[in-house]
Amino acid sequence: MTALAEAIAAEKIGGRVWFYSNYHCNLQCSYCLTESAPLVKRRELGREAILERAREASALGFTGYGVTGGEPFILDYMPDLVAELGRELPTIVLSNATLFNERRLREIEPLADLPVHIQISLDHPDPVENDEMRGPENFRKVVEAIPKLVERGIGVRIATTLDDPDAADPEEQERLCELHRSMGIPDEDHVVRPVINRGRAVSNEMGVLAGFEQLEPELTLTADGAFYSPFAPTVRGGRLDTDLLVSRTTSPLSAAAGSLVRIADDLPAGHDASIGIR
Amino acid sequence: MSEEQDPEALVSLLGREQAPLLARRFYGEGTPSPITASLAQVPELLEVALPFVGAALGPAGLDERTKEIAILRTSALLECRYCVQTHTAVALDVGLSTGEVRALRGEGDLDEAFSDARERVMIAWIDAVALGRGPVAPELATRASEALEEHELVELTLAVSATLMLNRYCTALDLPTGADTLARLAAGGFA
Repeated sequence: MTALAEAIAAEKIGGRVWFYSNYHCNLQCSYCLTESAPLVKRRELGREAILERAREASALGFTGYGVTGGEPFILDYMPDLVAELGRELPTIVLSNATLFNERRLREIEPLADLPVHIQISLDHPDPVENDEMRGPENFRKVVEAIPKLVERGIGVRIATTLDDPDAADPEEQERLCELHRSMGIPDEDHVVRPVINRGRAVSNEMGVLAGFEQLEPELTLTADGAFYSPFAPTVRGGRLDTDLLVSRTTSPLSAAAGSLVRIADDLPAGHDASIGIR
Repeated sequence: MSEEQDPEALVSLLGREQAPLLARRFYGEGTPSPITASLAQVPELLEVALPFVGAALGPAGLDERTKEIAILRTSALLECRYCVQTHTAVALDVGLSTGEVRALRGEGDLDEAFSDARERVMIAWIDAVALGRGPVAPELATRASEALEEHELVELTLAVSATLMLNRYCTALDLPTGADTLARLAAGGFA
């Protein structure tokens, strides 16, 4: 067992390595950590770089992959890339599910046979309220896409992001759960998480503050370097935040992973890593 | 240094709020130097560069006075505004006289300011290393090896070499001199 695998087994750091495939997106959500939008700087990590780092990660003892953005499926090579990742380790891809036209659906059909889940954002059981934060027609596109994915046997999870989960209306939450159940998504594949007060959420005065002590250390690779968590490589006012940067070096991956373990070793006793992307 | 970034700056000097995790221990309690705050952009380089610079330019076998002579003289020859201004203040702090500082900055006569024969050989060595493009002249090499122990010659040469690196770094990135340093230099009649 490698030293890194031991650190993962001891839960010092998370077993999943995250890839920020890109920062651009067809949507412009009000709480987006990365200020993603159609015309932002793309910060594309690149297919080959992702695959190379993924192979290193597997050899080092990581146990899963995550892909996020931006909207990963805005990239033409994403279906093939996710399939390649899924053939190596369990993989989760975070998506807004608004780009799943018939051609895309055909391209992702091979994912049905792999340990791959697509985690789709759906914030509210009502279109108007949902689309306030996520943009016009988002609700309709999502509730159309999810059954098509489920029909094809592709693993789907629903992520609901709320400004204040503790203040959420129970009746609304129940209606949301009825909705995802009706689309074939069981409760265990539905996560509710808070808006994190980084990125565009800062400008819109939303969400909870989260320092590194509140975040689980999960190695997160971007075109700009390795970060502490998928909540870390955020953008505010067009500038990349560096407060949770681990290193600019991402190759060899062992260097960045080793730095993350060093940071995790220094976490204060009793720190509360209670906020995590699931 | 302000937490706000200068939009005109070539590179951002990362304030405490944006300091990467592995860079934070180099920030200490006070204001980080522009070298620290710029190197923090690449924390894995900061982690090796700052200890190296500290060791190369701090006192070891050679004392602080000698090191500051090497740093200030090299910086003046390389015309590094940031390093000259910053190390003018440091040189005065470690006891160099105003006349010695002015001479090292090229604003006074070195022979008048430095009467010690060993220091004059050291300064000649510093000038040769800082400005030379090939081997040091044999005659000067002989004088230096007579005046200095081998380990002293190594340490002095590395101090000049490390300063050259910093001179180019600070000049190319146009790092700003701290307001406190500028005020102090102005009060002392230095530019």
